[in-house]
Amino acid sequence: MHFAEKFDVIVVGGGHAGTEAALACARIGRRTLLLTHNVETLGQMSCNPSIGGIGKGHLVKEVDALGGAMAAATDEAGIQFRILNSRKGPAVRATRAQADRLLYKKAIRSRLENQPNLLIIQQSVDDLVVAGERVAGVVTQLGLRFAAAAVVLTTGTFLSGLIHVGLQNYRAGRAGDPPSISLAQRLRELKLPVGRLKTGTPPRIDGRSIDFSRLAEQPGDDPVPVFSFLGAPDQHPRQLPCWITHTNERTHEIIRSGLDRSPLFTGVIEGIGPRYCPSIEDKITRFADKTAHQIFLEPEGLTVSEFYPNGISTSLPYDIQFALVRSIKGLERAHITRPGYAIEYDYFDPRGLKSSLETKAIQGLFFAGQINGTTGYEEAAAQGLLAGINAARFVAGEPGWCPRRNEAYLGVLVDDLITRGVSEPYRMFTSRAEYRLSLREDNADMRLTEVGRRLGVVEDGRWQHFERKREAVAREIERLKSSWINPKLIAQHEVQRVLGQGIEREYTLQDLLRRPGVSYAGLMTLPGAGPAVADPLVTEQVEIQCKYQGYIERQQDEITRQEAYETTRLPADLDYRRVHGLSIEVQQKLNQHRPETLGQAARVSGITPAAISLLLVHLKRGFGGAKKTA
Amino acid sequence: MTNEVIAAIATPPGRGGIGVVRISGPRLEAMLRALVNHKVAPRRATRADVFNADGGVIDQGLVLYFPAPHSYTGEDVIELQGHGGPVVLQLLLKRCLELGARVAEPGEFTKRAFLNDKLDLAQAESVADLIDASTAEAARCALRSLQGEFSRRIDAMVQALIELRMLVEATLDFPEEDVEFLEQAKAHVRLEHIRSQLTQILVASHQGSLLREGIHAVIAGEPNVGKSSLMNCLAGEDLAIVTDIPGTTRDAIRQTINVHGVPLHIIDTAGLREPRDPVEKIGISKTWGAIAQADLVLWVSDATRPVTMTADPALAASLPAGVPQLKVVNKIDLAGIRPQRRTLPEGDEVAVSAKTGAGIDLLQTAMLEAVGWGGSNGGVFMARERHLHALQTAAQHLELAVTRANALEVFAEELRLAQNALAGITGAFTADDLLGEIFSHFCIGK
Repeated sequence: MHFAEKFDVIVVGGGHAGTEAALACARIGRRTLLLTHNVETLGQMSCNPSIGGIGKGHLVKEVDALGGAMAAATDEAGIQFRILNSRKGPAVRATRAQADRLLYKKAIRSRLENQPNLLIIQQSVDDLVVAGERVAGVVTQLGLRFAAAAVVLTTGTFLSGLIHVGLQNYRAGRAGDPPSISLAQRLRELKLPVGRLKTGTPPRIDGRSIDFSRLAEQPGDDPVPVFSFLGAPDQHPRQLPCWITHTNERTHEIIRSGLDRSPLFTGVIEGIGPRYCPSIEDKITRFADKTAHQIFLEPEGLTVSEFYPNGISTSLPYDIQFALVRSIKGLERAHITRPGYAIEYDYFDPRGLKSSLETKAIQGLFFAGQINGTTGYEEAAAQGLLAGINAARFVAGEPGWCPRRNEAYLGVLVDDLITRGVSEPYRMFTSRAEYRLSLREDNADMRLTEVGRRLGVVEDGRWQHFERKREAVAREIERLKSSWINPKLIAQHEVQRVLGQGIEREYTLQDLLRRPGVSYAGLMTLPGAGPAVADPLVTEQVEIQCKYQGYIERQQDEITRQEAYETTRLPADLDYRRVHGLSIEVQQKLNQHRPETLGQAARVSGITPAAISLLLVHLKRGFGGAKKTA
Repeated sequence: MTNEVIAAIATPPGRGGIGVVRISGPRLEAMLRALVNHKVAPRRATRADVFNADGGVIDQGLVLYFPAPHSYTGEDVIELQGHGGPVVLQLLLKRCLELGARVAEPGEFTKRAFLNDKLDLAQAESVADLIDASTAEAARCALRSLQGEFSRRIDAMVQALIELRMLVEATLDFPEEDVEFLEQAKAHVRLEHIRSQLTQILVASHQGSLLREGIHAVIAGEPNVGKSSLMNCLAGEDLAIVTDIPGTTRDAIRQTINVHGVPLHIIDTAGLREPRDPVEKIGISKTWGAIAQADLVLWVSDATRPVTMTADPALAASLPAGVPQLKVVNKIDLAGIRPQRRTLPEGDEVAVSAKTGAGIDLLQTAMLEAVGWGGSNGGVFMARERHLHALQTAAQHLELAVTRANALEVFAEELRLAQNALAGITGAFTADDLLGEIFSHFCIGK
């Protein structure tokens, strides 16, 4: 049957990508339908019970700056918060939280249920309705037909999902959930370039069987950090520590004894797994001389007794999992509640996407999350938010939006995906961002909230909060720039105390703050330097902006140099075989991947600066008319 | 399209009355003021001194300033017309680079002219051809300029830089691993090592100062093939004793002559044999020292005799690795052969007569080209200028890194920029390449 109500956008999938996509779309005001195979698993953390980390925390803050749910939900569900790299510079500091799974799901579900314009229906999607080159809706397992101008697919590991434990395998989307088989077949029929990836998860352990007295405790930070720019520590539930233990030689022997029944080592698994999150059997094989590997025992929640042993993801047979866990210090009597497993699933070559995450092949069809070859909740949420925004814009006939590489990790993520594709599940790291010093957690709101407001995803409360902060920061920086410290008018011992040395001429407070070792708080103790601003979020911003100023300006020069390339669009129908002087290899690459701008083309592997010059000349000659977007 | 300032020597290399350095880019007025002391009116030839950074005069010549859009490229253009010698032109170019320009890519002025509507559409095809051809030419030139020791040393240095970056990035991106990347790695020691490697490349490669310091050429060959005559002929005056008796030349002789404006220091190896007295011994050991730093070797043979010459093993062993070599067939007047130059796999061969001077002009050109100066467009020379500029930029970033070693993310930024600067020589090294290095060296991930 045809479902009577028409929607603007249908989001398929209720994980981290799907929920952010649906929320963003509805916030913008589009009539949105979220289809999930199971309402009970909305916002489910399928793997480790943690959010954030280096690079990932940056993404979460960006999602938050754009009005997304992940940071706020983590503030309500987090049972341990830490700032990683806290002793290193602000650009590489990142927030990481352990979340109570149930509280996290609850926080996400309550946001979904309270979001105007958003309807949730429990139905698996079996088919896409495509009219010509345009998506028109979806068909569910009961044969319900839903019509919409745009569809966002966030299928996670469900597309043709295949779970492996030892040499046994079975079809599933996740342990305990059915896979999406017919949708996967349908997508393959649409001739989208499909591939297989693999990820894995460790066995879960009953906390009541762990001997914590033998383990090292890892408490959260004090004072307790918050994730959202609007968050507060008093939102957090009761806090718990994590625990650290290690594998040993005995563990490694047990693992080696089971390699002949490993789906990974016997070639049963075809999908490619991530190099940075290897299974324990992979670790001990590739780094055979390492005698111990670290394991974090992470609590799954306040009201459950399960622990997640982070570091021993495995697809070895159950008997080996059992023995290897019990060989580990503190786990000698451990009870495994759920076995670990590996899962293979379909993804689509993200080079088939525009920067809006719309597929180039089918108008109005958007992909977000693991379907694009990424891994991680944060990467998924960020893409979901972007796909939701752009699906909403597509419906209204507005051009797609994506932050640039110099504006957001989200921009780096999408640009990497669409220009370079993936060869393993893609995870964010700060080293992927060439503008790392500008792309910090602390300034995610400064970078994105204003554009988020224009896009319609930032609501009034957040906007007012942001405007106050931005204004306070600007005012204080202006004050520091125009306040001078004169050596003749100040006691030299005071200058010595604060700066570690005397001054011989007049300096502005801003000049002095830029010196290494001088903090804002310290500087404000200088007579005549006050009154200091009290809000720590404002002073943090002021201090970091001053400290990094020289580097930010230099990066700005580099960005300006690249600007023209990023804004010169390549026509979608450009026939690269007609571009004079391009090598056959370059022609084929460009014809296949069809970058949207010259800047994207330059980042496709194998495309030389000379090829870019030839493209420029071609465009200038009037073939396809090089129009600028900006 | 861009705000980068580009500069290049615009006249063909070699002997010439004047040489031109052309600069193009947006807003060049500040650079113009830094280069010359005169007020320069637009589109008027102005006689002026061109100054270097410490206020010394590099050259006196004509300066032309074409403000945008009325210029060849459509951007601000400065032309410095100086004396034609390559040394002066190189100094002028170097000064422009100091002031923020970069060395122009092949065909880049024309490309900019085209993009700024300075060329008509009919010329578009030829612009594409030019870029295509220039790119291929530049690739050949880059290869030639990177042969041998120079390239090997750069590779070693870049490898060390990648290793350090790998450790630094691993420290930043994986703080929860129980591997103490940097503590083990001694970042300071590594950085100092890389910097000293780079300094050695810049100093010892001597390629940058080649033209200023001159080319050291070794003349080698069997006795009595006419090495001394050849030297005299190149020098244009009698400077070695010339007789028909083998072994007449007693001392290693170094003579500096000027070939197309390039100083050429010639080292004659005729006297390299068992010393008979202490004076001779000193002379011979000095000659060996000079040979070890040669930029070019001329193997001289006699056209009237069958070529039995095999390289003297002691001499061959003393030469720098990869040094360019030329074969010179002398005495063609006696053999009745015409002067000519042939390209052979192991290097060019030039047939000359030192006695009549026939073919000497061919030899001079071949010598300059062999060391990278010459040819129709000076491509090898410009390629090397680009490489040196890249190496110098990298060195500056590494120097800044030293001062920021306590702020690891800033330290990392300088290392990244240093490696970026080298991308033109070594090829791009992406973030993904770096992560690949990390994952293959360390067991990362939970």
